Amino acid sequence: MTDLGATGGSAETRRRVGAVATVFRRELATVLRTPGYGVLAVGLLALLGGTLAVGGGGDTGFVPAVVDLLLVTEVVVPLVAFVVGYRALLVDAESGELAVIRTYPVSVAGYVVGVVLARALAFLAIVVGPYALIGGVVWATAAPDTGIFATHSGVDSPLLYLRFLGLLVPFGAAYLAVATAVSAVASSRRGAVAIAVLALVAGVLGGDLAVLRSLASGADASAIPGLLASTPNGAFRGLVFETVVGVAFAPEGGFVAVRRAAVSLVAWTVGGVGVSTAALAYGARIDVLLEGVRARVAE
Amino acid sequence: MAIIDPYGERFGRVLLAVAVLGVLAGVATAGAYAADPSTATPDPVAYDDAVELGLSSETDELMAGSARIPRVQVFYSQLQYVVGYNGVESFVATLDDGRTERQFGYPLVVYVETFDGGAPGVTDDGLFEAERATEWIPADEAAYVVGSAAHSPAGETVVPFAERSTAAAFAADHGGRVLEWGAVRDRSFAVDSAATVRSMAPARWAEADERIADAMAPGDDGGAGGTGGEDDRGIVVGEDAPTIDAAVAAAPPNATVVVPPGTYEETVTVNESVTIAGDEARVRGDGNGSVITVRAPDVTLSGLSIDGVGNRTRDPEAAREAAEEDGTWDTNIQLGYGHGDAGIRAIDAPGLVVDDVAIETNASGVLLRDGSDAVIRNLRVDGSDDWRDGFMGVTGMESRVTVTDSRFEGGRDGVYLHRADGSVIRNSTFVGNRYGTHLMYTGDALIADNAFRNAEFGGITVMTRPSGNAIVGNDVRDSGAGIQASGTRSYVGYNTLANNGLGFSTSSRGSLYERNVAVGNEVGAHATTVVPSSRVVANDFVGNDRHAEAGPGALRVWADGDRGNYWEGATVGLHEPGERAYRPTAPVDAVLHRETAAAAVRESPAAALLDRLYGTVPGARSGSIVDPAPAPKPYAPGRVAAASDPDSPPIHPDWRRELGGGSRTEESGADTTTPTTTIMNTHERNATDGTVSQAAIAGAGSRADAEGRR
Repeated sequence: MTDLGATGGSAETRRRVGAVATVFRRELATVLRTPGYGVLAVGLLALLGGTLAVGGGGDTGFVPAVVDLLLVTEVVVPLVAFVVGYRALLVDAESGELAVIRTYPVSVAGYVVGVVLARALAFLAIVVGPYALIGGVVWATAAPDTGIFATHSGVDSPLLYLRFLGLLVPFGAAYLAVATAVSAVASSRRGAVAIAVLALVAGVLGGDLAVLRSLASGADASAIPGLLASTPNGAFRGLVFETVVGVAFAPEGGFVAVRRAAVSLVAWTVGGVGVSTAALAYGARIDVLLEGVRARVAE
Repeated sequence: MAIIDPYGERFGRVLLAVAVLGVLAGVATAGAYAADPSTATPDPVAYDDAVELGLSSETDELMAGSARIPRVQVFYSQLQYVVGYNGVESFVATLDDGRTERQFGYPLVVYVETFDGGAPGVTDDGLFEAERATEWIPADEAAYVVGSAAHSPAGETVVPFAERSTAAAFAADHGGRVLEWGAVRDRSFAVDSAATVRSMAPARWAEADERIADAMAPGDDGGAGGTGGEDDRGIVVGEDAPTIDAAVAAAPPNATVVVPPGTYEETVTVNESVTIAGDEARVRGDGNGSVITVRAPDVTLSGLSIDGVGNRTRDPEAAREAAEEDGTWDTNIQLGYGHGDAGIRAIDAPGLVVDDVAIETNASGVLLRDGSDAVIRNLRVDGSDDWRDGFMGVTGMESRVTVTDSRFEGGRDGVYLHRADGSVIRNSTFVGNRYGTHLMYTGDALIADNAFRNAEFGGITVMTRPSGNAIVGNDVRDSGAGIQASGTRSYVGYNTLANNGLGFSTSSRGSLYERNVAVGNEVGAHATTVVPSSRVVANDFVGNDRHAEAGPGALRVWADGDRGNYWEGATVGLHEPGERAYRPTAPVDAVLHRETAAAAVRESPAAALLDRLYGTVPGARSGSIVDPAPAPKPYAPGRVAAASDPDSPPIHPDWRRELGGGSRTEESGADTTTPTTTIMNTHERNATDGTVSQAAIAGAGSRADAEGRR
């Protein structure tokens, strides 16, 4: 099915990379031909700007700006990730192009990686771009209320905002990978939308609800850092508290199990890509199985 | 699209550029994690540019002489302003008060001024003195002398040195021990706070009682005595002497000059310790200069009406002359204000008693200068209709004044005090002044249980930065502003402020604003200081156009632990009252008490997402106020109701019982669940913060219950 017989060697590696690059290039062309993504970026910029304007945190520095943006980000970034990813693998499968592609020497994994890379690049442009712009605006405009006294920046620093931007990437990547998995599992566009919305809500709310539930049912409080770290939102929030906002407090920390949170975000990403690959690779067989079951039940 | 055409020739290069950018961004982000922003160490700034907290440097004893308070400047992690503390111990006291770190973050770096080469010493009064400070050095590099003979006006003081050897030399001369920073910061110091001022307010009232009782005691100073063989009636004007002035001139010390009913057209000079006791007598000056001038100690004036006062309000000539020859820091004002005409003018006349006197004047009513410590009771001053035409009801310069049961109508300021530490103004009525009571460089005063109406600018104003004033139980209405008191360590409590332009401002630093009622003002309270350092708690805000607004500066947290203020409207909505933080400066919260629909906006997910973390880094935010624990009901419902009634008589709650009484007293009037105010151990730092007692947790869960046991 895939190149199981590969014996390694640089020629083989180059061929694989070439295949991924081709898929990547094709997918990027698809993305670039979708003007909606540009609108999405502009809309996100407006939303972030509006949030800061209403919240007022950006007037004085990066840390209060991050405080204002944090909870909005927890909703918006997964949403954008799903918009970018929910059809990524579905369209080719639906239109039969995937079947054509598979006649070329491109492995399923290579295909998935190529698509995900292109989508990830698009996601970065759509999400990190506006956030970076907002950061630039804060940098240019944030100032103390009054200049009659001596001022200093405290711990507030563009570096903290850069940390925040840095955390957006794995957080978004985790959701993008999950979205891609959704697109691989779904068999129709409507189905993809339905599953994506479900996954989005489950991700944004469900993870934390599960933590709350497990605490309510007697989990020990000491388990919180670990439990929190296991969901993408919890891991992201904990890491922002720990490495951005918390810096303004006396050095105590402990908002989340840092290593575990970082690993968790990577695991969600890798897991999403893995599920996508598996779904594309074995989905047809499962479909056949299911269809068989359905036929039998229907009769 | 030309640049990023995936099938174009240059795509490879574009991709490479993107990849390089990505790597750079990755490296930068990694760098952002590697760098530690908390190790930033800004250099010390000029102290005058720091926002000053701690003790006041504008007290008499400090401005007049060579005494100093060692100063500290602190750079906090969240706060954008550099904070200066007068007194190392003032800063140390903030280290474990729980509030400072909550509001400003932790100190990134602390500098102290050192006195190695500044000829440090101790004044005769026991204050620390030095010719100059030598340099600012990080606090952990200095050596400190603790427990020496040197004190600050508020108590113990710590003297920092750059070299341990000079510190040891100072300790050898003036006692005390040399400690490192680590030991100093762990100590607790006996230093006065606003809570001290609160606990002392009833005592000041009692002291005024004593002053008045002493002044009125018959046969003590002014009472008719057997001196000179006069009979008990004393010298009677019209019988024993033709004029009051002649009678006073003829009278022996401690005699009484009796002034029968009638109008006496003359001016009087008193150079002897006598009592002038009128009986519906009117003294009418010639419209030039002052009517009665007192230049002797222990003079009593009673039962008089005075008019015909000159209309010169100050003397630029005297100001110029004296400024040339001596030029102390406020000569100009003192002489300008202290040398006008007055109904009664007292110069170096301690022990003056003015009782049952009425004065019509377009200049000052009573002018006290040069240590004319006076007791004034039942004084009535009618000033000019327009304040620009008149002057002060009572002008007190370097004189400790006690005013009670008096009435000041019209004119510029009802009572104007300048360097008049320890003065008491109480039980008096002020109508239609510019300012009702106006203090300059005057600390440790008590302004209590007065009523102010229609003051053009404000009821009570304290300017400059004095310390330790208590403003308690006053009722200010229909005025430009209720209370605007700057300074440090002030106590502003139990005042009722209704229908003013502004209820009160929190201009005084390190102060306590509690149990005030602001009803129907345009703005209930205004947060002015750039760096919040005061406690604002248990006040009631009802029916104001805006409950509160804030000037520039860091976010103010108006609560004490889990105990906040009552804001009408804060409980609107479906929440359990007190569950949601209230932000009087936020557009939605600000109108909750006028528009119920605002509650629905407030519960929107968007508002919730923004609000939820709002107060996490208060020091880094600006221009607003948040009360994390708004009270479910008014602390003083009785006063709120009375203040809402325009015809109600002035309201003066029984604050003396609450502040000075037992540990569980209750506010006078309706509210039986009102929390109590426990008298504080003035040197117990925990007494001023919001530590919740264990008992509170065991309680029935009622908020009021928890407060009651604090």
